[in-house]
Amino acid sequence: MERNPLFVKLSAQPSRALVDERFVVLVQNAVPGSQLTVHALHQCEDGHSWQAFAHYIADAMGTVNVSEDSSLGGTYTGTEAMGLLWSLKPVPGSKPGLRMRKKNVQTPMLVTISVYQGHQTDGFVDQAPLATVVVERWYMAPGVRRIPVTEYGLTATLFLPAGPGPFPGLLDLWGGGGQLVEYRAALLASHGIASLALDYLTCKYSMETKKTVSNQYFEMAYRVLAEHPQILGSRIAMLGLSLGTSITFRTAVYSQVIKLRCAVCISGSHRQPHNSSLEEILSFFHSNADKIRFNEENEVIWRDLLLPIPSDSTNKVEVGQIKCPLLLIVGEDDQNWCAYESAMDMKEMMEKAGNSHLLTLLSYPEAGHLIEPPYTPHVRSSQFRDMSTRQIRCSSGLHSFPFSFET
Amino acid sequence: MAAKDAAMFRARVSVTAIQLLINMEMKPCLSFYSKLPSLQQLSVRWKSGVRPAPFLTATPVRALIDEQISIRGSFLPPHSPITLSARMHSDEGDLWESFAHFNTSASGTFSSTNDHSVGGSYLGCEPMGLFWGMEPAPGSREGLRLRKRNVEAPYVVRISLLEGHVSPSEDQTTELAAVNAERWYLSPGVKRIDTLQNGIVGALFLPPGPGPFPAMLDLWGMGGGLQEYRASLLASKGFASLSLAYIGHKDLPGPPNRVNVGDSYFKAAFQLLQDHPQVISDRVGIIGLSFGCYVTLRIATRTGVKPACLVCINGPVGSTVTLSDSEGRTEIFDSYQKYWTYDDQGYVIFKEVSLPANLPPDSIVELEKLDCPLMYIVGEDDLSASSIENADMIEETLRSAGKPHLFTRLSYPGAGHLIEPPYSPNARASLWSVKPKKLITLWGGHPAPHAAAQEDAWEKVLNFLNANLRR
Repeated sequence: MERNPLFVKLSAQPSRALVDERFVVLVQNAVPGSQLTVHALHQCEDGHSWQAFAHYIADAMGTVNVSEDSSLGGTYTGTEAMGLLWSLKPVPGSKPGLRMRKKNVQTPMLVTISVYQGHQTDGFVDQAPLATVVVERWYMAPGVRRIPVTEYGLTATLFLPAGPGPFPGLLDLWGGGGQLVEYRAALLASHGIASLALDYLTCKYSMETKKTVSNQYFEMAYRVLAEHPQILGSRIAMLGLSLGTSITFRTAVYSQVIKLRCAVCISGSHRQPHNSSLEEILSFFHSNADKIRFNEENEVIWRDLLLPIPSDSTNKVEVGQIKCPLLLIVGEDDQNWCAYESAMDMKEMMEKAGNSHLLTLLSYPEAGHLIEPPYTPHVRSSQFRDMSTRQIRCSSGLHSFPFSFET
Repeated sequence: MAAKDAAMFRARVSVTAIQLLINMEMKPCLSFYSKLPSLQQLSVRWKSGVRPAPFLTATPVRALIDEQISIRGSFLPPHSPITLSARMHSDEGDLWESFAHFNTSASGTFSSTNDHSVGGSYLGCEPMGLFWGMEPAPGSREGLRLRKRNVEAPYVVRISLLEGHVSPSEDQTTELAAVNAERWYLSPGVKRIDTLQNGIVGALFLPPGPGPFPAMLDLWGMGGGLQEYRASLLASKGFASLSLAYIGHKDLPGPPNRVNVGDSYFKAAFQLLQDHPQVISDRVGIIGLSFGCYVTLRIATRTGVKPACLVCINGPVGSTVTLSDSEGRTEIFDSYQKYWTYDDQGYVIFKEVSLPANLPPDSIVELEKLDCPLMYIVGEDDLSASSIENADMIEETLRSAGKPHLFTRLSYPGAGHLIEPPYSPNARASLWSVKPKKLITLWGGHPAPHAAAQEDAWEKVLNFLNANLRR
């Protein structure tokens, strides 16, 4: 019996999910053997449109199951259940260097998923899809509480899970781009970990005094967590990405005040003076500024800044003295920072010191610098405004598949 | 700051915090903690705070009403009794609650999907028992029935993990963990449109996208008003759906306790769907519950429109109230009490009213004229309608007319009159009227079999609609 393409049924379940939860996109009742394009469209907060699409062939039942079937082309290929999300790219004609980051974590990301007849590659806006659904992707579970924190001069946001607690706690540090980035802390709280997102570069104190924060700033942030009646002071972790790892390494090894239960360092390096302040760390980086390179597209590559890694302990955090479990996550194609080489060196240091049983190393081939919560799009390069407000594009490396985020 | 000072500071703050819990006074240095809710519950656990609380998850945490929510607990003591409790407020502000008793595994975990409840609102392995097992909290108003009024907002269910096997509304409880789940009657992107400007009292729900869509006309019973929650769900499944009010609504003509609209009203509603630019005009079906079942059959045989399929739930083949004209308008419902019976609690049972032999003969629909597939759903414990007899009559008539293939029957033992979308509690009885006197009516249905019926029937209805409206 001839099937009318009008009767195609599309579903995405669950239609409301956390950003790190999977969904199943199912096309049913299509003409068996027909060519179909599944398409995703998202308009982010700054108004830019992102899209992803994949080409499928309906099976003998007229079904396409994105979780099980293989994409033959598009913004991803092969069997990728979440490809429609992580392969989202700015639509043609967009300005270069865009990066998708949710600022308001209290509202969901809306993604419109449609199925089109044939194998389309462009002109989606001008065509009528066969069917459409909308999914919501949330950074916050219901009941998670978002509490801005300005006490002790901090610029931070605390996310508390639902329920009475007590909860483990986490200090969440991002990298050299600064700002108060909340989405990872919100997501962690949605998984039961009370998390404090901390702005330590562009915080109120630094913007007003033009000075970098001292170690005490991080100690106060730790105190906010440790002394909270719903958070266990003995179960506090620190999570750092990029420059945030520099703080995390220093804290884990040298701090007398902050007692970390464990530390997670993503795409970072231990290359910095021992037990230094943030100011000393940044000065150390600047002193090596002559090592910055540019590639053919005029994108900045910073990864040589801290290379080569010396074999002695000069200007390397003495990770052999770390007393808590350490999780290192690195991308082997990280063009921004020498995370992989640093991880290898740290492994060696810890093996020599006899505390390598504390180390877990996750190393991902073809992954870049910005290893973030899963199923969100990766960009190979993006606009980056550094502390002296120069607009530059930096290259972060390619990430070709999603992976789960671990703490 | 030296470690000693830090420890002293921490100790001082700890003492302050304890005083805070006891006195409920806000000290200035902890001003931002004043935003914390439920501080009282912490007093029991404060001193035992060396381990994090057990971990409770609900997946998905925002679900459509017909999606199963899986609740898991971990980091609990092994082989220990725990209680899972759920509480939510209806749109009218009534508190509904349920609970189940579990024993944790050797590894200190439990799962509502896989484990057996050994006590509480339901027994055995029932993945959604915590939801369909809900009842009004003790002290609630009498005769409540849970029905969503505002379909654009979810039910928010607070699911708590409690220590031991307790009855949450009676015993002292210690909350170990909690998670909030949202249950939605509407998918993202579905649009709700008021239809009043067309003279039709209804709510139209359109799926996202340009369409065109197959469509459904959605009819409820003599309870009246505008009930949107099934139509919004059907739209969430891709059907443009119009929920239609025809009795007991302020925007309808005439007194609220009789049907003051006739065949032309229903025809216009059907055509509103058919003629809608985003609807596939020859793929419009009708679903009706109770008196809505009769309305469905009447539209299909008397108004000239051609529905593509029909779903009838627990309803009569004719009017349960004397007709006042040839257009289907009726007399006042309560004036026709000849066949009302009462149980020993004084609850009214309407079942006999809809026995085919008791229906006004001029109202009985010409069933032999039915020309499209019809699915009839029977709750075998239906105390409000004689569903089995009416189903038999439709089946026999169609067979005699040479069209037996049009008829499908689903029949559920233990299920009552109100077979609704799945995982909501059944009202075995509920308030029918307050004037001239307070009347509670018996709908029938026992919790577990009724829940099973709702779950199975919904899936079969959706399959039936897809088979008939997407071909």
